[in-house]
Amino acid sequence: MSDPAKKLSVEIYSDRVVTTLVMFSVIWAVIGMLAGVYIAAEMVWPALNFDQSWLSFGRLRTFHTNVVIFGFGVSALMGTAYYSVQRTSHVRLYASNLAWFTCWAWQIAILAGGISLLMGLTTSKEYAELEWPFDIAITLVWVCFAIVFFGTIAKRRIKQIYISNWFYGGLIIVIAMLHIVNNLALPVTLTKSYSLYAGAQDAIVQWWYGHNAVGFLLTGGFLGMMYYFLPKQAERPIWSYKLSIVAFWAFTYSYIWAGPHHLHFNAIPEWVQNLGMVMSLVLLAPSWASMVNGIMTVSSAWEKLRSDPSLKFIVLALAFYGLATFEGPMLAIKSVNIISHFTEWTIGHVHSGALGWNAMITYGTFYFLVPRLVGGNLYSVKLANLHFWLALAGTILYIVALWGAGVSQGVLWLSLDDLGELRYSFNEVMAAMKPYYLLRLVAGILFFIGTLLMIYNFSKTIVGRRTIAVRPPIESLAVA
Amino acid sequence: MKSAFSPRLILRLLFQPNNVFKELAELKPSSIAVFFKVALWFGVLPPLFAYIGASKFGWRLGTVEPLSLQKEILLSISVAYFIALLFGFISTVIVSRWMATTYGARQSLGIHFAMITVVGAPLAVGSIVHLYPDVFINILVLIPALLWSMYLLYRGLPIVLHITPERGMLMSSSLIGYLLVAFVSLLGITVFLWINGIGPLMGV
Repeated sequence: MSDPAKKLSVEIYSDRVVTTLVMFSVIWAVIGMLAGVYIAAEMVWPALNFDQSWLSFGRLRTFHTNVVIFGFGVSALMGTAYYSVQRTSHVRLYASNLAWFTCWAWQIAILAGGISLLMGLTTSKEYAELEWPFDIAITLVWVCFAIVFFGTIAKRRIKQIYISNWFYGGLIIVIAMLHIVNNLALPVTLTKSYSLYAGAQDAIVQWWYGHNAVGFLLTGGFLGMMYYFLPKQAERPIWSYKLSIVAFWAFTYSYIWAGPHHLHFNAIPEWVQNLGMVMSLVLLAPSWASMVNGIMTVSSAWEKLRSDPSLKFIVLALAFYGLATFEGPMLAIKSVNIISHFTEWTIGHVHSGALGWNAMITYGTFYFLVPRLVGGNLYSVKLANLHFWLALAGTILYIVALWGAGVSQGVLWLSLDDLGELRYSFNEVMAAMKPYYLLRLVAGILFFIGTLLMIYNFSKTIVGRRTIAVRPPIESLAVA
Repeated sequence: MKSAFSPRLILRLLFQPNNVFKELAELKPSSIAVFFKVALWFGVLPPLFAYIGASKFGWRLGTVEPLSLQKEILLSISVAYFIALLFGFISTVIVSRWMATTYGARQSLGIHFAMITVVGAPLAVGSIVHLYPDVFINILVLIPALLWSMYLLYRGLPIVLHITPERGMLMSSSLIGYLLVAFVSLLGITVFLWINGIGPLMGV
């Protein structure tokens, strides 16, 4: 046996870090969604804050978004990126100790960051609320994430860089750029800083960040997950590889311009608003290209659905992805936005993406991944199926309730009486929302129960087992 | 055809959906017959109920004072509602038939007309709640109707279109994706019309 062959025969993929990240992701999902359910209840019964500042809506809402996006979402993305980049490169992670560092440092940052938000420390920039010491810590972890990921790509044994890696790579590079630029600030104390930008510039930079975080993290990152795990589960190559490449570059090019649609009718130049609107509409094409690719890949693999509950989640995730990526451009049209802006419609739209797309595709991936990581069977397929129906019902109910709430709010706020005066007061409009908020709470509880079933199912699957050792395929030596 | 599409269809869909599907599976209905005998009338119901309800009581969006519209505007909204439903129905049939090639399902246009009609039936009947135009009451009634429609779709599609339950699951989910997009488009178009002066008086 030659030396490289010997090396390969002892080389195993770093999968323990993947298992750890998946477990943390599931734990954050439970904590973050519980916070979500609690603030949904506060919208119906405001007294639930018990006059505790840390339990108030303003703090808990920020906690909810940060924990689900950065705790649940990013841990899932990190874990699945580490898993898939090894398998698509036929090589162990580069600097796997550094990968362990990213795993633990990230969890500590989320935990401490979450507590700081409950304490009321905030930059007040949406989705970038964490104060400057956390921003620096996040940058550090993110750079290490990039080193591990691109280091693995650099020492790959397969010439081609598979499409999922392009999406994960895009996520790492663009989020680094957005995070650093948007968080440039002047620290005053350890817990307070002021943004380098002022006024309208601050708003433009903030929503350039905000929308592209949605784009490259919640859309692009999770597309990376889809492009690896869907063909893997379906045991088919992606329907059109060419289309996936075209979709990636078109997506990357057009997303970066769309941010200003968050600032329609605000004090920013009108041409910037119009550009944001037009680029948002263009974005529909590459978004849907990936949806078609996913649906066509799975359509010929229907027999896999018999044994595999995870594919169901992924199929449905694609349907909601189709909805969210259509609704987004539509809401970016100024004459629709004038009604929808500042209403619950926006929150409904975000959740059709967050619950329907991000959570569902992650659940589908985890149901596939967890049993394979520990070399066992899923504890209960029945529970997973029940989880599927709870997630579907919860998501549909959530979206429909907030469509009703949002459209009502939009009409009520702008309705004029015969004298041309606003017909309804703000209080009247808010009082009218209570029933919808109750429905949203029910929807959230349904979705949350599903997540609890999943964590139970996983803990039963994992208990008493260790992550199994997997070696890169020996034939990849020919390329090495 | 008659046995499947009799006036008792609604009751049977509620209590014996499987029998309806089994009968449909054996039938080769003509598109024209399904459309003019059943689907069209289902399509007329929601705008009709909405027109009556809104002109008698005015829409309640949860506030004390209902929102009243002029008769002519109401009529144009109801006609637009009907056209949107018609477009939604026919486009869903066409999309369903188009998907049939991908999922290896029956190709005859008539059976897709029949299947989509059956799926839409609970919503069409549920639209009777438009007679009492309070948005929340409407949502409260239409959500169970929607869930029932979805159940009929997932349950019935593989039986009626002669495919395995797994392929039926995929095709139903794809159709749900299309329908969600179609519905949100309707919402977008409606709002667009409001802003452009058709509908309630708005301060824009």
